[in-house]
Amino acid sequence: MKRHLDLRVPGAVALLLAAAGLAWHGQPDIAQKWDLLAPEFTQQLTEREVYIDPGELLQLMNNDYIDLLIFDVRNESDWNQFHLVDAEHINLAELPAQRDRLLSLPENAVLVVVSNDEMLATEAWQHLMVIARPNAYILAGGLNLWLNIYGVPEEEVAGHGKANLARPDGTLRHRFTLSLGNRHAAARPDEHRTAPRAYTAKVKLLKKIVKAGGCS
Amino acid sequence: MAPFDIAVNLGAGAYYFIYLPIGFAFGFILESSGFGDSRQLAAQFYFRELRVLKVMFTAIIVAMTLIFWSTALGLLDYDMIWVNPTYLWPGIAGGLIMGVGFILGGYCPGTSLVSVATLKIDGMFFLLGLVAGVVLFGETVSYIDAFWHSSDMGTFTLPELLHLETGVVVFLVVCLALVMFIGFEWLRGRLYGSSR
Repeated sequence: MKRHLDLRVPGAVALLLAAAGLAWHGQPDIAQKWDLLAPEFTQQLTEREVYIDPGELLQLMNNDYIDLLIFDVRNESDWNQFHLVDAEHINLAELPAQRDRLLSLPENAVLVVVSNDEMLATEAWQHLMVIARPNAYILAGGLNLWLNIYGVPEEEVAGHGKANLARPDGTLRHRFTLSLGNRHAAARPDEHRTAPRAYTAKVKLLKKIVKAGGCS
Repeated sequence: MAPFDIAVNLGAGAYYFIYLPIGFAFGFILESSGFGDSRQLAAQFYFRELRVLKVMFTAIIVAMTLIFWSTALGLLDYDMIWVNPTYLWPGIAGGLIMGVGFILGGYCPGTSLVSVATLKIDGMFFLLGLVAGVVLFGETVSYIDAFWHSSDMGTFTLPELLHLETGVVVFLVVCLALVMFIGFEWLRGRLYGSSR
């Protein structure tokens, strides 16, 4: 009589050992995942392909065809002092909770991460690439550069003092005596009243926007 | 790192042709496991025949273990794999309807296709009913839209429910599966006096 090789018990033991090994080994955290993904994305950072000029962000803020999201990843104190209109205050620890939302963004969505300079925003961008790989960019020079460009001098009497360039990297170098939030004129500058800036456009849409309606 | 965008890397033609061997392998395994026979499938629900439980649950735990070992070793980015969002109550209602249909008809949607491929008449009628049900549902789902989209929990998985590490959950699910296999074999022996 022909005997079949019974692999049920060895198979079950092998699977159990593999699962036990997995429980012991664990899953990579965000930093470890970034280490694995880094070869794929580091060039975009080193070549500054994802750092967009404040002029490009201003253009995006005034483009009705784009679903723009602005993630402000600074601390609450800096956020209260000044932030952009329509920006969302999300710190790094809260980014994983945004995964479902980021994965379901429409093809015309553009996400811009802002911080005081570029350091924290770059870290947040790395987290975003690990979490959901959205079409995300970083504000070049951060809000310090933004305020250098769009923070007009008259506002010194309305809670916005002179910039203190001696302050360390990563901090808000513009001094605010009031928590202006998005009530500051630079929170959404009038595109038509600001001096045009020369910049290289870097934002690429996943879907080409057709600026036409009806049957045309 | 996987998952790879096959449509981009290989082109649309190759992208579609990849489904052919996958589908062939899937159908081959289902048929060779006896899943094209409604009597064997329905017998599962009376604990007379346990191959559905064993084959399906084994496939699940093997795939699960391989997926999470792949992510642990950096070969696969799990975050880029589509995981169905959970709509709790619609999911429970749908599961009950499908379960009753499975017991009464002897097939689930996939196995009915396998049975049709081997020219089984009951499978053909089941498939006709299946298509009619799909059309009827598609035409009427707007009337139950509030329920259909209720209890949206987003992407909700066992590690989030249990607040445990993914690897620990994988280990527990494997243990659960093995205990179930042994337990149901014992139950079948008690009910029908035989053990295979």
